[in-house]
Amino acid sequence: MAPFSRRQVLGAGLGSAALGVLSGCTTPGTTSVNAAPTIPPAHGETVKLTYWSWLKDLQKVADIWNAQHPGVHVEAVWIPSGNSGGYPKMYSALAAGGGPDIAQIEMRTIPEFMLVNGLVDLSRYGAEKHADKFDRTLWNQVSFVDGVYGIPQDSGPMATFYQPKLFAKAGGTPPTTWGEWAELARELRRRHIYIDCFPLSDASVFCSLAEQAGARWFKPTNDGWAVNMTDPATMRVAKFFDKAIDDDLVTTKFEPYSPGWFAAASKGNLASITSASWGDALIEGVSGGSGKWKVAPMPTWDDDGYGSSQLGGSTAAVLANSQHPKEALEFAVWMCSSREGIDALITHCGIGWSPTPDYIGAPRQKPSKFFSGQKYNEKVFVPAAKQQNPDWSWWPITQQSFSILSDEFRHKASGKKLVDCVAAAEKHIMAAFKDKGLSIRKERA
Amino acid sequence: MSVQTTTGTAAETRHDDSGRRPARRRGGAVRRAPWLLLAPFLLLFLFTFILPIITAIGSSFVKVSRSGLFGEDGVTSRFAWFDNYAKALADGNFVASIWRMFLFGIVQVPIMIVAATVLALLLESASAKWPGLFRAAFFLPYGIPGVIATILWSFLYVPGLSPIIDAAKWMGLDVDFLGSGTVLWSIANIVTWSYTGYNMLIIIAQLKSIPGELYEAARVDGASPWRIARSIQIPLIAPALVLTTVFSIIGTLQLFAEPQVLQSVAPAIDSQYTPNLSAYTTAFSYNDYNVAAAQAVLIAVVAFVLSFGFLRLTNRKSS
Repeated sequence: MAPFSRRQVLGAGLGSAALGVLSGCTTPGTTSVNAAPTIPPAHGETVKLTYWSWLKDLQKVADIWNAQHPGVHVEAVWIPSGNSGGYPKMYSALAAGGGPDIAQIEMRTIPEFMLVNGLVDLSRYGAEKHADKFDRTLWNQVSFVDGVYGIPQDSGPMATFYQPKLFAKAGGTPPTTWGEWAELARELRRRHIYIDCFPLSDASVFCSLAEQAGARWFKPTNDGWAVNMTDPATMRVAKFFDKAIDDDLVTTKFEPYSPGWFAAASKGNLASITSASWGDALIEGVSGGSGKWKVAPMPTWDDDGYGSSQLGGSTAAVLANSQHPKEALEFAVWMCSSREGIDALITHCGIGWSPTPDYIGAPRQKPSKFFSGQKYNEKVFVPAAKQQNPDWSWWPITQQSFSILSDEFRHKASGKKLVDCVAAAEKHIMAAFKDKGLSIRKERA
Repeated sequence: MSVQTTTGTAAETRHDDSGRRPARRRGGAVRRAPWLLLAPFLLLFLFTFILPIITAIGSSFVKVSRSGLFGEDGVTSRFAWFDNYAKALADGNFVASIWRMFLFGIVQVPIMIVAATVLALLLESASAKWPGLFRAAFFLPYGIPGVIATILWSFLYVPGLSPIIDAAKWMGLDVDFLGSGTVLWSIANIVTWSYTGYNMLIIIAQLKSIPGELYEAARVDGASPWRIARSIQIPLIAPALVLTTVFSIIGTLQLFAEPQVLQSVAPAIDSQYTPNLSAYTTAFSYNDYNVAAAQAVLIAVVAFVLSFGFLRLTNRKSS
């Protein structure tokens, strides 16, 4: 072996470095799998599907399917949840030409994956014929242009979790309108209790409230995206919470389900929280809270808007490099809409609200000891799931948009009005759209 | 030559004694040996250090744009010169995060270095009791990962959980560790707590290398312990002080884990609170790897300029 000269080593180094630069420059995801011919279902051989998800014990759910379908074997792989590492992992797998067949992707993140050509259009494999098994609102959120890009897996219809004793102290029962809510909040403040917190650092809650009031921030149109974040519905919510924060009716010191929140809730300094159905599992973590909580429908804007809203929710989407999209679709539909699939997801994975309007899952039909023996799932969340804003649709840079909006909301602490924060955020978000090359225009109201 | 026994086989060694030609072959082996021994390191160094840096620099010059609603009408990437750098610098939040770290460094680094020096001098003084025990105790926080340390501290910062806040309320004081004006210093406290002991150890190592005769001579001349510290110890540990300061300057600009973890309890920490947090957000929340690469390069340049500026400053002073 000849000795390496310094020059040779340097040369080899620069050579591989140049290779690295070149591979860094090629942009993955420039071709769409949905333009290629569809992949026919496999015949004879056993199909192996991998499913990346951050749900615990998902393999137990897959095993039920595997036992019934010897031809299609599903293997679940646990990954960190979306923004804490799961998505970057999926993006890099896609960029490298690999990745799982199915992945758990949040409803609002579907368009971001479409942006990197990461998803299979399931309508090409017959997804439409399953549409009636799913909640219409959720189905609309996975349908874009003429395609279907994921199977709704869980959702989060909203309601108000409250402590009846604290409400009674202020002479109140659960408020049915936001006006009553503000009055009750004022009474509670006289007793040093907050009715709820308003998270300035997580704009998705505000987004859900605007949705309830009837907002529709983004619309895909033939000539690009139309945005309207300053419509009357959103401005109404922003003005309402501007006043609520200025009058000290809600606290902005902590976020829902943070350590500070749990401390306040267990000490009786926080009377209620308007949140999604999956909040029940978290609220059960309030120490000494058993039997002290109940659930009521969320307050409404008496003359306008919808009865409830949605917060959170994810899908089982088929990723672009899957070799068996047809089988993957069948499994996803089974898991998310069959009775045994839903029950298994609730029992083993503690998943959120069922995406089918017909079946909420056997474990959710029993009365809850923690929530004062109330059958709140049937009484409150079943109607809430039907009263969501059906027109809402997500857009390609939701994560960035929520970051921008949250960063604006933080200025509320130094006196800026939420109304102005939303308007400023809209401008930044439009700039971010244009920056990616996407066309966007302000909708004329 | 001692290499003979380590590189040559017995047969070769016998030949080596007899002629010139094998000696040249042995010379080849000698030349080869360092490269062979270094190869594993060099490969790792190349693939995990040099290559990523070059890739980052390369990708910071590329711009990707998409057309259509979801990029379905085509994706193009082109060489963009300094567009990404311009964009990073036009981002008020990113620039603000660098200034924020500047303010942080100006306050936190001197406090930490002074504290580390004082602790080191106290532990190395003749009258110190159980120096080994205390050295270990002061160093202990460094053994706790930043993430865990931040979680621990956050329980002392969160109202409703914190005994400190409760005690302050008792005395009629209303303290808020997580407010927009105070949270930076709450982070500084965690960092100081974590790294003072580490810096102290580096300084102690240098203190130990001061020869005993110097102390003896000083004592014979009647120097007080304070005088010894001022005129002998501090000048002689100057290199350690410079080193720890440079490390701390670089560490300040790379601050990431503490603010990221504290974010979950401190609404005042935004997604671009520190330069590294900003690059992380740009890359993984915004999916804009190119601008994130430009930000990363800018952070490296600023760290380079600051640490070399500091070295120049101290070198000029000493010469």
